[in-house]
Amino acid sequence: MQLRDKYRIALLSAFALGIHGIESLFPAPIPWLRLGFANIITLATLVLYGMYPAIMVTLIRVILGSLFSGTFLGPAFLLSLGGGIASTLAMGLVLSAVPRLFSVVGLSIIGALFHNISQLIIAYFFFVQRIEAILLITPFIILLGTLTGTLNGFISEMLINNLKNSAQTIQNVSQ
Amino acid sequence: MDTLVTITVVSRSSSDADEAIDKGFHEIERLEKAANFYSPDSEISQINTHAGISAIKVSSDILELLTKARYVSEKTDGAFDPTIGPVIALYDFHKKIKPDDAAIIKNLSLVNYHDMVINRDQSTVFLRKKGMLIDPGGIMKGYAAGRAAEVLKKHGIVSGIVAIAGDIRAYGLKPDGSPWRVGIRDPGAQEQDKVMATLELRDMSISTSGDYERFFILNGRRFHHLISPKTGYPAEECQSASIITTEGALSDAFATGIFILGPEKGMKVLEEIGLEGIIIDRKGSLHTTPGIRGRLELKNPA
Amino acid sequence: MNLRTLLDKTTAADRLFFLLLIILSLSGIFFIREILPESQTVLIDADGKPAYVLPLNEDKTVSVEGSEGKTIVEIRGKRVRIMDSPCRNKLCIRQGWVETGGVVCLPNKVVVTIRGHEENDRGVDAVTR
Repeated sequence: MQLRDKYRIALLSAFALGIHGIESLFPAPIPWLRLGFANIITLATLVLYGMYPAIMVTLIRVILGSLFSGTFLGPAFLLSLGGGIASTLAMGLVLSAVPRLFSVVGLSIIGALFHNISQLIIAYFFFVQRIEAILLITPFIILLGTLTGTLNGFISEMLINNLKNSAQTIQNVSQ
Repeated sequence: MDTLVTITVVSRSSSDADEAIDKGFHEIERLEKAANFYSPDSEISQINTHAGISAIKVSSDILELLTKARYVSEKTDGAFDPTIGPVIALYDFHKKIKPDDAAIIKNLSLVNYHDMVINRDQSTVFLRKKGMLIDPGGIMKGYAAGRAAEVLKKHGIVSGIVAIAGDIRAYGLKPDGSPWRVGIRDPGAQEQDKVMATLELRDMSISTSGDYERFFILNGRRFHHLISPKTGYPAEECQSASIITTEGALSDAFATGIFILGPEKGMKVLEEIGLEGIIIDRKGSLHTTPGIRGRLELKNPA
Repeated sequence: MNLRTLLDKTTAADRLFFLLLIILSLSGIFFIREILPESQTVLIDADGKPAYVLPLNEDKTVSVEGSEGKTIVEIRGKRVRIMDSPCRNKLCIRQGWVETGGVVCLPNKVVVTIRGHEENDRGVDAVTR
């Protein structure tokens, strides 16, 4: 790994962690609605630098985030880890398989969907074991996930544009 | 006891429930032992073997059981009689033996609850005539169901249902907030579990006497175990009688007594005492006391 | 960058996928409401095991031990809510009162479901014979 990549991963992870932490301070506006803003960083990392840094950023965010909040290896950690990895993989695979089919917004919705589905599956196998309880909340979670995924997609889109522009600026200056 | 006993309780902890159920079964066994007509060491057998000889000191359970039996005998004008033993003993429902008329008439003279002397102060029971036999079969199971329910309550169970064969005591509410629901067997059906009607039961007991419980058919005639103390023959007017009271023993004994009285006299007695009951007569017609009409849910009336 | 240019960046596949998910989840919500029977019983599971079965029409507050601590469930006026929970996000508490369906606290592994009692309507608890 190049030094530059390490810097990037560290920086982006720090962003993701910060967002993750800030988000958990706010009360959720609607039940079940977690905005998942940390996914914005994952998505931007994925689009700008590829799958490997994106997974690193996700792992660092989930592990450090849970260490900071004291939920490491607890149920919340398991849900967070499963959801994070599933959504990053899903977005990465879709991006490399059909690069032009979805925009950043579409990728974000896909990420949110896989995040939710994997969390529901983990919850079913590890915690709840009552399929009717899971089925009951599934449509709500997917509906809200789609809406917040769309919002996050637009924010990612803007972020990616800004990062691209600033990178351009830096390059122009250094030339 | 060769009958099916089920105890269902509502409890927050399954270990509490198990313990209470265990205690409930013990209570039934204990009472069964004291009141067993066939076991020579039971208190009832002690009274029977000392008939015409001496009064026997009995436990408070047997004293209470026989006092209640006597009360029902009085209210049903002897249609229920705990001293029916000598006549019942002539019948054998397994071997299909029907006694001859002379034997029945002879033993009928020994059947009279007035000759069962209960001394509550000294806790003794005495049968005046030699050869008299107390058969607690018509009151025992209902009494035991009621007592088992008391034991459950004592062990902190807020809601439960005890069923000893068809003698049921239900108290409290089910976890969903509804009362226990009891089915009344369809007396015309071969299957034991075919239900004719259901009703909700809360802090009450219900017992049913039916001609299908124990019977044999001899020369085309059906002989069942609900023998009239007046004739010594099975009472013919009903197929079944279900009685609801606040006490298991009373439900059980009245079910027998009302069955033997028949639908008309039976209904009159129920209304006089203010008990609720359901009678299905020989033709299959349903007779109910007014208080139960709104509560009875009939199953697909055929 | 304004909203117009942001929307212009989305592809047809984006919009189709978005619509599909919205329609599926909305019909899912409707469908699940339809198949849920008339509610009567509150089932509380803690840590994957049934902890309580309570009547919905009896006001009561119970405490169940989840994996992270005590969750307080309150039943009042034929509604249920999670009153207190040791979980971090408190989503279950914010969901407030529910009349049908249920409330789930995933971090503390507490599941509260409201169920009908249609089986009990048909069956009987004992038969007198």
